[in-house]
Amino acid sequence: MSEVPTIRVVDVHKRFGSLEVLRGVSFEVHRGNVVSMIGASGSGKSTLLRCINHLETPTTGDIFIEGESLCFRGDAAGSRAPRPLSEINRMRRDLGTVFQQFNLWPHMTVLGNVIEAPNRVRGLSRKAAAQLGGECLARVHLEDKALEYPARLSGGQQQRVAIARALAMQPKVMLFDEPTSSLDPELTDEVLGVMRELAADGTTMIVVTHEMGFAREVSDRVMFLHNGLIEEEGPPDQMFGAPKSERFRQFIAKYLY
Amino acid sequence: MSETLQQLLDISIFWEYRTVLLRGLAVNFYVFVCAAIVALSLGLGAALLRVSRRRPLRALGTLHVEIFRNAPDYVMVVWVHFVLPLLIGTLLHTRFELNPFVSAIIALGFVYSGYFAETFRAGIEAVPIGQIEAGRSCGMSDRHILWRIVLPQVVRRMLPESINQFISLFKATTIVSLIAVPDLMYQVSMITQQEMRPLPLYTGAALVYFAVILVASYALRAASERWRNKIFA
Repeated sequence: MSEVPTIRVVDVHKRFGSLEVLRGVSFEVHRGNVVSMIGASGSGKSTLLRCINHLETPTTGDIFIEGESLCFRGDAAGSRAPRPLSEINRMRRDLGTVFQQFNLWPHMTVLGNVIEAPNRVRGLSRKAAAQLGGECLARVHLEDKALEYPARLSGGQQQRVAIARALAMQPKVMLFDEPTSSLDPELTDEVLGVMRELAADGTTMIVVTHEMGFAREVSDRVMFLHNGLIEEEGPPDQMFGAPKSERFRQFIAKYLY
Repeated sequence: MSETLQQLLDISIFWEYRTVLLRGLAVNFYVFVCAAIVALSLGLGAALLRVSRRRPLRALGTLHVEIFRNAPDYVMVVWVHFVLPLLIGTLLHTRFELNPFVSAIIALGFVYSGYFAETFRAGIEAVPIGQIEAGRSCGMSDRHILWRIVLPQVVRRMLPESINQFISLFKATTIVSLIAVPDLMYQVSMITQQEMRPLPLYTGAALVYFAVILVASYALRAASERWRNKIFA
């Protein structure tokens, strides 16, 4: 593959005090790929996702978004000065993030949530942003809720609004941090359904999840994290069909039986 | 006996002086609004210092809050009006005086900024960190997040408590008569000196303050509830 990867993670370490949560993680995600990150709690998968949009600063290592370093200014060979926040904010526009807790802004309507950043960060006119917002809400099947406030929606609907909000920035990659983990079981399907549709449309996605069925059916590649390292990775059929590492075998055994 | 009492309580004298008294009440409102603006601005500033990432700034915010929240408003009014000009005058080697209005507004504004700072801070800390992270991950600057995500929620959250503080501030505006700001209380005491009838005049003043505050606080509470309910279900 000669194309520049959409996301390239290079030897990322993250330490919180004496606790090393990530111990050297490297991988690439190409355009249109869907990558699932699975692993037990504390394996570092959420921290890794938070490093990719710089909500956590890697202790060492770097992340490249379409070849551009997120952590350092200039090319990798040249300056190693940390990238200033204003530039990180510019780069974050290309990363759509969906959180476990939805994190909608309660004082704005659904449409207000979706168009806030396109309007005031990307600089689209209100009209153009509203048009785009309507399209994004249609993609999550909530166009009729545009004028509701988030408090009036179910958890599944709120999470779909959060997906529309991330889509409205027209990001290069969508990052999902356990998007269904705080939903009641009967509400996870509507969110996973929307994510399946995004994947089918060719959206580049990195998904931290405990939904093994989703990881298996939708991803191009699955990464299993354990103790801050990628323990095993590969295409889902191979991973789930013939797991190589003993730890991964034990991990999926808990889900499958 | 009953005739004496009737004469003592005869409120009609209040009506005779209505123009002067209303002008006094307007002065109360004027001092209140100006002091509230000072208190809200300084309070927001101090609250932002207190939630800052930098320790010296946090300490500065705490200092502000502790000094002014623990200063009695009467003492502050007197100090700002009589002591502060002396200090400034001595430092600049000139005569320096403050207009009583200015002293009153500064003193009350600073005292109440201590209370408002704490209300603002509680409101800011009540906004879940995830909402701020959601803003960051859309590429919003800290300033954008503050003005568009955090403060609109803070204002709604702090409304019920602010109403109580506004009421206290309005009541506190009655002590400015002590430095000869011509508010309602000042007018009442002037008229009392001429008419020698303190009972109807002071009772009338008390009733006016009571009515104004009661009506204003009910109206504000009703309005704020309607506004909040939409969001915090």
